Amino acid sequence: MASSSNGTKSPPTQVQRTKVLLLGQRRSGKTSIQQVLFNDVPPKQTFYLEPTARIVKHVYDTVIPLEIWDCPGTTTIDTLGAPLAEFSSIIFVIDIQDSYQQPVARMLDFFIAAYQESPDISLEVFVHKAEAFTEDYKLENFRHIQQRVIDELLDISSDYEQMPLNFYLTSVYDHSTHEAFSRVLHKLIDSLPYLEDMLNVFCANSQASKAFLFDVKSRLYVATDASPVDAGTHNLCCDYLKTLNAFGPLYKSSSASPLRLTASSPSSPPKPTFYPSAAVTLAPSTQGTTLTYHLITPQLALLTLMQTAVFEDRRGLLEYNVVFFREGVQEISQVETDARTGTS
Amino acid sequence: MRSLIFSNNPASLTSRLGATIDVEQNHVRFLGDLILNLWDCGGQDSFMDSYLSTQRSTIFQHVGVLIYVFEVESRDMSKDLSYYRDCIDSLRKFSPTANVFLLVHKMDLVAGDKGAQLEKKRRELQHESGEVGVTVFGTSIYDESLYKAWSRIVHTIIPNATILSKHLTTFAEACSATEVILFERTTFLVIATSNPVQAESPFPPPRAITSGSSTPTASTALATSNGISSPPSSLSGTVIPGAEGGDAHKLNATRYERTSELVKALKHSCSRVREEFYALEMELPEFTAVLDEMTKNTYVLIIVHDPTIETAALKINIRLARQKFEELQSDSVGS
Repeated sequence: MASSSNGTKSPPTQVQRTKVLLLGQRRSGKTSIQQVLFNDVPPKQTFYLEPTARIVKHVYDTVIPLEIWDCPGTTTIDTLGAPLAEFSSIIFVIDIQDSYQQPVARMLDFFIAAYQESPDISLEVFVHKAEAFTEDYKLENFRHIQQRVIDELLDISSDYEQMPLNFYLTSVYDHSTHEAFSRVLHKLIDSLPYLEDMLNVFCANSQASKAFLFDVKSRLYVATDASPVDAGTHNLCCDYLKTLNAFGPLYKSSSASPLRLTASSPSSPPKPTFYPSAAVTLAPSTQGTTLTYHLITPQLALLTLMQTAVFEDRRGLLEYNVVFFREGVQEISQVETDARTGTS
Repeated sequence: MRSLIFSNNPASLTSRLGATIDVEQNHVRFLGDLILNLWDCGGQDSFMDSYLSTQRSTIFQHVGVLIYVFEVESRDMSKDLSYYRDCIDSLRKFSPTANVFLLVHKMDLVAGDKGAQLEKKRRELQHESGEVGVTVFGTSIYDESLYKAWSRIVHTIIPNATILSKHLTTFAEACSATEVILFERTTFLVIATSNPVQAESPFPPPRAITSGSSTPTASTALATSNGISSPPSSLSGTVIPGAEGGDAHKLNATRYERTSELVKALKHSCSRVREEFYALEMELPEFTAVLDEMTKNTYVLIIVHDPTIETAALKINIRLARQKFEELQSDSVGS
């Protein structure tokens, strides 16, 4: 991985962060994407965001510590101030309504330079502001951009045929940005196969039809089990998390809430650490589905879909399995933290 | 606006709605046997003129509630106001007892100090209304303000809201709950809430009942699950003397409207994957809560701050209270 070549400019904290470069023409939506994902800015508000004047480095801690570089539209390889090899991932944002010539040319400059420095780097293209077009027209444009990029790449040199480019159609007004960034994130997590394995085992043993490990605050999914991700289910899980996040502070009691986590009278045995959980039942009968939520680490939560009948009959089993899943994830996180802080 | 509250449409789709032609009558079954007869009146000049002339007696007869919507940044406020004055006059003549609510709408478009702008409008409108008592709300379809206004409006229509509140308070005590809120099922507007527990302590007075046993309350047996049999001694030190009526919790003031908005949003997400929202239980760091069906057309939300109360106990309580509230509701609507 490219991240090992980081030694010249280490941030004040000792943690080695995985760097993501966010590029694009001016007003293409880079800052919007960053703000909606990591700062919980309502999509409608992104309209009022000021243009980014210089490179802003946003740090975000999830399963791995991230550092996202939000660049102004004028950034070039020379003004970036860091070698491209430092980045694990480059995201280039293209406004779907824009003329494509300039952005595509600039994007390929960056991508070719990065690819030559470190062929492992993941190169991602977000075709953004998809909400501006109707369904058919949007897909047509999306395909058009993809074809154009690939054609131009081959025009430059046939060596770049193998360059691994990924295209995503995104909009801040629906869940596509979350989904796309989740997929970008997956490539950056070294421990992903282990997390996925654990989710598979969990699903099999708890009779869950689908399980996601979500980052709670950003609502990106860090890992999921082997069954295919259905967009509807993913969106519902995202909305569910959003609801739970919003509910928390709503009924917060200034007197009683702080006592909940610490309270346990001196005589009673020490309570195990409190982990929030929730469940939403869909459809009144037991034929329906239940969506469960269990916090795993302060940042991560496990969301599973299962039959309501299973949830009601085997809740004990489910919670028992969650405990083991939690231990596993916490161990993985610990190893990750140790490796990044250089204690091992 | 109507489509948002009564038809479970998200705000982003309202731009697709057509203009209202003449009067669109809607029967909204609200709370079982209570049927709201909603007259959505088109606002174009020609319609307004006919309401105030030929249709005057039809439109303004037997009005329970008049909801008049103003645009906050109207292009022609003097014309809006002259129509409004005529409407108020007609209303006074045909339905003198009607409640009047004025919604200053599209507040999301106001740049700068929204509060000051609304206050200015409120004074202006109150002045225009003369001696007719009016209630003014600033609203926007993009936040919870709309739910706040409609909850207040609905509250005036429900005949027995105070009795419902009283029973909800009893129910809250039985659950060791901080608060119990009753929502209408389709609109998720707040119908009634429990009164704040007169608590000198953050937790309701503990009773010497072990979990699982039941106390007869309000002719319905409610299982009381209360893990603590005596108050933890450490608590008494942290208690704030009931200076402002014992409201030690200081819960968020906009919680009801925000809840309506959140649940509606979640319901909408569920419907997009062809699922139907049914019930929700949460054990969050801040509180424990259960949102479940209470009667055929209401939902109840129980908020508990005591960490020893389990969601299962709350669910049993809801199940046991169902029949009582069903009776209560048919009484309140039937009268």
